[in-house]
Amino acid sequence: METLWLVVLGVLTVGYFALAGFDYGTGLLLPFRGRAETLQRMTPFFLGNEVWLVAAVGVLFAAFPRLEGELLSGAHSTFTLILAGLVLFMAAVQLRLWWWLVFTGALTVSVGWGLFLAHLVDAPWPVALVMPVLFAAHGWVFQHRRWALFPVTALLCALPIPLAFSSIDVTGLMAHPDTLSLLAWVAIPIIPLVVVLQWSTVAISSR
Amino acid sequence: MSAVDLARLQFALTTSFHFLFVLLTLGLVTLLVIMQTRFTLTGAPVHERMTRFWGRIYVINYALGIVTGIVMEFQFGLNWSGLATYAGDVFGAPLALETLIAFFLESTFLGLWIFGWGRLNRWVHLALLYLTALTAFASAFWIMAANGFLQHPVGYRVDGNVLRLEDFSALLSNPTFTSALMHVVFASITVGGVFLTGVSAYHFIRRTPEVDFFRRSLRMGVVTTALATPPLIGAGFAQFPVIAQYQPGKSEAASWIGAPLGFMILIGMMLTMVSWLTLPLLIKDAVIRMRFPLYLMVIGIPLPFAAAIFGWLFREIGRQPWLIYGLLRTEDAVSHVDASQILLSLIVFTSLFVVLACVDWALIARAVRRGPDVAPAPVSPLVVTL
Repeated sequence: METLWLVVLGVLTVGYFALAGFDYGTGLLLPFRGRAETLQRMTPFFLGNEVWLVAAVGVLFAAFPRLEGELLSGAHSTFTLILAGLVLFMAAVQLRLWWWLVFTGALTVSVGWGLFLAHLVDAPWPVALVMPVLFAAHGWVFQHRRWALFPVTALLCALPIPLAFSSIDVTGLMAHPDTLSLLAWVAIPIIPLVVVLQWSTVAISSR
Repeated sequence: MSAVDLARLQFALTTSFHFLFVLLTLGLVTLLVIMQTRFTLTGAPVHERMTRFWGRIYVINYALGIVTGIVMEFQFGLNWSGLATYAGDVFGAPLALETLIAFFLESTFLGLWIFGWGRLNRWVHLALLYLTALTAFASAFWIMAANGFLQHPVGYRVDGNVLRLEDFSALLSNPTFTSALMHVVFASITVGGVFLTGVSAYHFIRRTPEVDFFRRSLRMGVVTTALATPPLIGAGFAQFPVIAQYQPGKSEAASWIGAPLGFMILIGMMLTMVSWLTLPLLIKDAVIRMRFPLYLMVIGIPLPFAAAIFGWLFREIGRQPWLIYGLLRTEDAVSHVDASQILLSLIVFTSLFVVLACVDWALIARAVRRGPDVAPAPVSPLVVTL
């Protein structure tokens, strides 16, 4: 049961970061590209990644209750930065008023996740720059349709934070098996369902 | 201010902002279901145009509301880590079910509905809206189940210094959950009704050429309000015996706690009365020809929102000093972080949310002003496709 929930949390986190690459990466590339077309390509994917983040934090709360609070409150200001960036990015993309606001939002979120990564592995802060660089690379691959490179950059975006997570010893931090088995009935069918539905959305919108 | 006070203020502010978005989302999706069902059955273009116009407003509000929801969810871990540590096994279950069954699926169905417009079989497309509405109300269901547990904890056993899940079904038959859920559901439908009425009235004040379109919308808004308010009030009063039994000290929790409760009841009664008085005036469009009620309808748009916030203030402040009633004190649940860090996040989130609410209002106002036919071009990228 413990392994199952580590896998579920891993899948949700990987899902978020793999999808986040298009969005934030696109935002980071905005100063260097034609704005309207670049944003247009991102549209079907917009908001697609945030739902994975929300699901991941929900699972973190219920399945790893003793870890969730420590993890989040232990990096309070970093998460303030990440969330501020998220709010800014999502509002700016929808407003389409000032492109540099989209860029600032994307930069804030990516640097925020970089700082969180540095916090997790106890690395000096320049490590934080890894995330914006990876996101931008993934965004570039996506915008230039280099599909051969696509899985590579997606994985590069997705892996650092889940891998850093795996260094945490979760024994004693997880919920009781009663709670875990109840939630397993829900989590296991829903994740593949969401993958299929999101895939259909992208397929339909490119028709 | 201490860390507890700051964290409480932040929670109150973010929840209130979040709730404004949620109310409109739930209210509009219910009415959209009716509109699109009529379109799918009859094929009449007016129903399609209504679904599109109100659907655009719904999508604008939803997409901005998501952001407030994300901050809400993180806030539990950021500021209230004591809650997860102590009660995560029990309280976390409905919360996780909300993110997985409701939000995760809801957003995905909605995405498919937006991009599937005109590209999918119309019955499949209608089914997607039904699923979006269903999962939206499932969200309310699980959140209220989680909140009901805080008001009156059930279904747990104490194991050392944490709570464990003993009986999940007890969480779902919790009396502080069931009556409040109905109250919130009808409150959101009332918001939808009042919003539809007010926006349509605005177009009649501006002497819209779209008479048939807004006449239908206005009627739908008035009838919805008239039908939703009596059960709303019923479910409200049904909570008093529950409160008397499980939280006897609720109305003495703060000296001013009676005021929001009173205002909420007053607004509820007023909306019921006014909507029922308007019903006969719908005959031969008397209410539109009289004109002055149209102004009242526009002014009335914020009222159900205000009532809902007042209701939450009463429910949540009345629970103090407990976070989980009788089990966990609010001051014991706050994270071990510096007050300055909470202050920083309080300032950042509150200012961003104020901006967000203004942006939401501005974008909706722009979509409203442009009317049914013109695509509101530089709005959300999601809206462009509608």
